[in-house]
This record gives sequence, C-alpha cells and structure tokens, in this order.
Amino acid sequence: MSKVSDALFDPVFKNNPIALQILGICSALAVTTKMETTVIMCIALTLVVGFSSFFVSLIRNSIPSSIRIIVQMTIIASLVIVADQILKAFVYDISKQLSVFVGLIITNCIVMGRAEAYAMKNGPVLSFLDGIGNGLGYSAVLLIVGAIRELFGSGKFFNIPVFKLASDDGWYTGNGLMVSPPSAFLLIGVLIWILRTFQPDQVEEE
Amino acid sequence: MQVNSWYGTIIVAFLLCLVCSVVVSTTAVKLKEEQKANVELDIKRNLLLSSGLITDKKASRNTVEEKFKNVETKVVDLETGQYVENSPQNFDARKAAKDPKMSVEVPSPDKAKIKNRSKWATVYLIEDGGVPVSLVLPVSGYGLWSTLYGFLTLDADTRTVKGLGFYEHAETPGLGGEVDNPKWKAQWNGKVILDKNYQPNVRVEKNGNDKGKNSVDALSGATITSRGVENLLHYWLGDHGYGPFLAEFRKGEI
Amino acid sequence: MKFLRNILDDLHPQFSEGGKLERLYPLYEALDTFAFTPGEVSTGSTHVRDSMDIKRLMVTVVVSLIPVTMMGMWNTGYQAIKVLSAQSTNSWADVEGWQASVMSLLNLGLDPSNLVSNFIYGALFFLPVYIVTVAVGGGVEFTFCLVRKHEVNEGFLVTSLLFPLTLPATIPLWQVALGIAFGVLFAKEVFGGTGKNFLNVALTSRAFLYFAYPAQLSGDAVWVAVDGHTAATSLGLAAAGGVDAASVGWDILDAFYGLIPGSMGETSVLCALIGALILIGTGTGSWRIMLSVVLGAVATAAFFNAVGSDTNPMFGMSIPWHLCLGGFAFGTVFMATDPVTAAMTNRGKWFYGALIGIMTILIRVVNPAYPEGIMLAILFANLFAPLIDYFVMESNIKRRLKRSAS
Repeated sequence: MSKVSDALFDPVFKNNPIALQILGICSALAVTTKMETTVIMCIALTLVVGFSSFFVSLIRNSIPSSIRIIVQMTIIASLVIVADQILKAFVYDISKQLSVFVGLIITNCIVMGRAEAYAMKNGPVLSFLDGIGNGLGYSAVLLIVGAIRELFGSGKFFNIPVFKLASDDGWYTGNGLMVSPPSAFLLIGVLIWILRTFQPDQVEEE
Repeated sequence: MQVNSWYGTIIVAFLLCLVCSVVVSTTAVKLKEEQKANVELDIKRNLLLSSGLITDKKASRNTVEEKFKNVETKVVDLETGQYVENSPQNFDARKAAKDPKMSVEVPSPDKAKIKNRSKWATVYLIEDGGVPVSLVLPVSGYGLWSTLYGFLTLDADTRTVKGLGFYEHAETPGLGGEVDNPKWKAQWNGKVILDKNYQPNVRVEKNGNDKGKNSVDALSGATITSRGVENLLHYWLGDHGYGPFLAEFRKGEI
Repeated sequence: MKFLRNILDDLHPQFSEGGKLERLYPLYEALDTFAFTPGEVSTGSTHVRDSMDIKRLMVTVVVSLIPVTMMGMWNTGYQAIKVLSAQSTNSWADVEGWQASVMSLLNLGLDPSNLVSNFIYGALFFLPVYIVTVAVGGGVEFTFCLVRKHEVNEGFLVTSLLFPLTLPATIPLWQVALGIAFGVLFAKEVFGGTGKNFLNVALTSRAFLYFAYPAQLSGDAVWVAVDGHTAATSLGLAAAGGVDAASVGWDILDAFYGLIPGSMGETSVLCALIGALILIGTGTGSWRIMLSVVLGAVATAAFFNAVGSDTNPMFGMSIPWHLCLGGFAFGTVFMATDPVTAAMTNRGKWFYGALIGIMTILIRVVNPAYPEGIMLAILFANLFAPLIDYFVMESNIKRRLKRSAS
C-alpha cells in the first residue's frame, strides 16, 4: 500500500518535478496567466503523463531497446494529439488561449522522464499512479503560480473579479509584471525557496 | 519472438505505428464536426462582440446564432469592390493572406504594416427587415508588439462608426492592452471617420474627443498602439482596403 | 560624543552574546559603527591597511549625490510651479494635494522664479518617497540581518537615495514601497546581502515598477507634479518626432542644467558631473567605467547618425542631445559605477562600460516602446560583468603562462 501512496504523493512535495527536478518550466511560464487555462493545462498534462506511463509500462517487455525512446515518443505524441483534439472540440476558447502549449506537452521533460525512469521498470498500475502523481506535482506548482498571477495581475480568480480594477473605477492597479511570463520564474523561485526552507534535504550541495 | 532482433524491432515499430495512427485519426475524424462548429461560433461571437451586438464574452451558442440570423455574410473582391460569386465556404482571409496565390503585396507606404493582404475579404451585413443597417468589416494592423485583429462596424452611410473592437492582440497590459477597455471602445460610437469625399479622415490623439467628430482620445501611455489603430483604419478605409467596396455599396447596386 | 560613546558602551553587554537583547545585536552594531569608527580589527591572516572602508566609501557616494538631490528637489518644484503659473493659478488654495496646503501654510509664493518655493515644493514630493524607501527597504534589510545575524551596513544609504532619484515625482507611495521591497529582497538578500548582489538594487527596484506599473512610470502624464498635466519626457518626444520635437520649450543648455521634466534626479547633467568629479577625485567611482560608457554611447550614436532613417527620427538624434537627455548622465555616474555589480578588473571595466553605452543608445534608437535605455542597459551589463571578469582573468593567466614558458 505504501508503494502506491509513495508513487502517487511523493512527486507532489518530496520530489516535485518542477521544484526539485526543475523540469517542465516552459509551459509553467506560458499558461499560468489565468486559472482557467492553468487548470485545463494541468488536467491535460496529468492525464497524458498518467496514460503514457501506463501504456509504456504495459508494453515495456516488448519494446526493443534500440528504438526505446522512439516508441515512448510515439505513444506520448499520440496521446497529446488526442488531448489537443478533445480540447479543441469541447473547450475551444481555452484551447485557443493555450495555443501551441498543449502540443508542446510532447516535449515536456516530465512526461518523457517518467516513461523512461519509472514506467520502463514498473508495472502498469504503479506506473499510471506515478504518472498521475507527477502530473499532480506539476499541477500543484502551476495552480499556485496561476492563482497568484491572475489575482495580482488582473485582480481576478477564475475570471471572477476579486479586486476591482482601477480601469473600471476600482481601487486595484493590476501588476503588469504578473501578466507577463517572467513573473512565473520569480514565483517558482520563491516556491522553491519556501519548499527548501521546510525540507532542507532538497538543497543541493555546493 | 526475439524482441531485440531486427525483425522483432520492425514488427513492434509497425504495430505501434498502426495502433497509434488508428487512435489519432479516429479522434480527429470523430471530433471534426464539433471543432468546425467551434471555429465558426468563435468568429461569429467575436464579430458580435466587436460590433456591440452582444456584450457577454461567454454568450451561449443559442444567443450567438439567434443574433447572427440578421447577419448576412459576403465575400468581397477588394480590388473591384464586387461580391465574389460562388465563394468557397468558410473563406479565411487570414489564411489567404499567407497564400501567395490568394494575396497581394500592400504597396508602400504600408500603413497598417501587414505586408500582404488577402485578395478577398469577408464582410458582414447586419440587416433589419432585409435592409442592411450596418456593415462589419474585419480590420488588422500592427501596433507596438503585435498585429491587432478586430472588426469595424459602420453605419449604412459608410461614414459613421457603430463600433470598433479588437479580439486578438498582444499589446502591453495596462497601456496598449487598454484597446480592450470598454470605456475606450465606447468613444468610437458615432464618430465620422470618412470625410465628405469619402476619404478616410480619422485621428487618434491626445484629448481627441474634444476635437471633433473624426477624432478620439489616444490610449494614455501607448502612443504607438494608438497610432497603429489610426493607421490601420486609414489603410482599410482607403483605396487599397475597403474603399472600392464601400463606393459600390453606397451606389446601392450591390 | 563622549557621552554617546558611554551610552553605547553601557548598552553593549545587553546586546552581546548571552545578553537579553542578543537577537537585536545588528541594530546595536549598526548604530555603533554609524557613529564611531569600529575598534575591532580583523584577525585573519590577510590584511589590507587602508583608511578606506565600506563606511567611508558609501558616505562619499552619498556626498557626491547631494548636488543631484538638491537640484532634483528644486527642479521638481520648478516644473510643477511653472506649469501651475502658466495655467494662471495664482494661489496655493486652488491647487490640489497636501503639498499645496503646506505651501500656503508656509506662505510661500507660487512663482517659478522663487527659488525657495521651488525647492520646498519639490522637497515635499521627494521627501515622502525617500522616507518610504528608507523605512520599507531598511525594514526588509534589517529583518534579513536579524535572521541571518549579519551586520546592517551603510550600503543601503546609497541605494535608498538612488532609488527615489530615478522615480517620477507623481509616483504613488505604495508603489515606492513595493518596488524597493522587491529590489532589496530579490536583487540583494536572496543572494546573501550586501556585497553579494549581482544586480544594482536601485535599478532592479525601478525595473520592477517599470514593468509592473508602466502607466505610473512611463508615458506623458507622470513627469510633472500637476494633476492632469501631460508633458512627455524629452526622450519620449524625440522618439515620436525627433530632436526638433524634443526641444520645444527648452534648448540643449536647459537639458544640461536639468531644467526639463523627467525623473526627479536624472535631469541635470551638470550636477551629475559634479558628482562624477567627487567620485573620481576620491577614487570611489571608476573613471574607466564612466569614460567607456560615454565612448560606447558616442560611437553608437555616431553610427546611427551615419546610417540614418526616414521613418525613425531617433536615428538622427545628435550626440550632444543623446548625452544630455534622459538618465544617461545620472546612470553613467552613479549606477554604472556601483562597485559590487560592475566588472572588477580594470580591463573588464572598459568592456563593461562600453556595453552599457552601446546598449543604451541601441534601446533608445531601435526599440519602439522604450524611449530611455540606460536602466535596462546597466542591468544587462550587470549580468555580464562576472563573465567579462572571467575572460579577462583567463587571458591574463594565459599571457603569464606564455611569458613564464618562454
């Protein structure tokens, strides 16, 4: 049982793909201006990591080692295209805002990393949970960053006005830095700082 | 079967590709209708939003379709100003602008900085009892960082603005990004942007609202975006833009 | 002085190890060393015997900043009062803002030729910004010193004076607080505090505000402290219409003296030059950096002049105008020479300065959105300073190896 919960929850705090392994940063910068896009991106990525790990693990014993990486890529790419098609069909608005970043899940190092590092060595169920867990770890960071950016950048949360903006005769002046991608770098940096203050074993040795 | 032998490798690769391609193509085909409907709805919604017929960004499909019943879609040949007969379904001017066969180079000075323009353009006539009461024209042009895409709504006299809105741009939030601000957009209503000879005459300048019917306030702190808007209107209302079409429209023959 | 010394000595046991107020030792230490030269001597094996320490260094910089600060306050008042009297406002009672109430209370004239009025009115805008900077930035720095058991030192005196000088007079005070807190925290404290920052703290604070709240830090409504009055900076005007447009209402001498709208401390080239003399004369600021920034800028401006452009009037802006407008002089003298963030090696300083000069003019001329480029240019060069030093040292090592081999 502990193996299951380890696979699922370890990546959230102890071994977070973004905060500890510093993977998957590019999409974290691009899609976190609003909670709406952040949530959809998180769901898409979590499912893609989960299922790609599952399928890779399922056929792990029949994968010839010489084309290992290509096989993993093919599975991941197919899943990403399917996810992209589904988003376009059912949440067109958000898929338009996410633009290329759904497609870029293919190149997200987390997906590839889990397939190669975990799914090739473990059973399908555990691999699936590990994938979902890593997706959740990614999501946890993205959601925090997204919430801060939308709240302080445009005074909203899930498009619902929280701080009334000065341009609508309110009191809050939106922070332009939060709307632009570099702010995600700063926020992720601060998150890593906080995380490592409480978990000092994550600090790299000099 | 030996997985790592050469034939094992080929068989695995072949099977994998087969399965993946079937999965991918099935989803793509199954969802095609939905996606097409979404794209159309998106264009319609943007158009209605820009022209002020709806104000809710998340207006439901029914509302949009209902409002759109009064809108007639036409494709215009910009050079002659005539409607294109038998135009292809879902003509996409933005795609056409990138197709060398379907586009023309914008002659210097390229005011709107768009380089190439589609030969045809989709225009929309909003009708009331079969009579067009206003025209919606897609416009685009370069601001500070990005190309602004929007719709200009004109009264049937082709001179008076009924609405101007941009649905896609990447200008600085808080400065140029304020082209989205409803307050700024509202001041366009009722502006007369063609002079008596139907030549474009519009200014976006400091305290413009006090300076007459053809002038609006510039966006504060966003000189270049403001000038971009002014320039793109000059281009699209000019001879190389919708000028010929508007002339034909005024004659009442089309 | 003896009296103060006695008080401090009496208090010493309370703050030293084992005392009741041990945790607040940095505060005691800061007070003590601010008033007196510390009696402690270093105990390690390397010694440099020099009367120059960080305290004297920082105080010299503060002294060199006095002319621009004074001029800044005066000009802030002068610009505002000039506009007010041009609007034929005759009495302070008709002007909004608490600053005006103070002016009428003090019974000072509303007249741009009245030196005292100008100075006081400007000071009423400058001082609140300065006080907020010191309180908030100092607070952040002090908190970190307590947690890390560091000593508070005089470096912040310089930062806290530089930052307000780079801001427009109309800046909201909460933005000042946010900006300096961000700068001290992210440019300095997270990297280990004084001496370990690789970015200029004052400029990082300003850059934060510049990108976060562009409406309050750029454009044409913020430079003169009169409600609703718009006056673009000369560089903003020049970017739109060339030098002819920039010099409406003033000539290059006004720009040299600093009688034009702009950030509070950046307008006067003359006062920056006085500061430069003090810095160079005392050996505090590097003349190599200042000179190479100017040379880099002159060369780049000359290049653009030669190339020319029909559509971009900034190409044709002449070299003297480039040197006199905007924050070029201020940045060159006080920001680029920041010893912590600049290149350390003498040869590196030439490259570092030239990079700043080139980038400044490049941003001014080519970037359509940013009329002024010195802030971004200096921050950019800050990033490259360690790399420049690395290459200089590598080449020194190579050269010496060669020499010893032959």
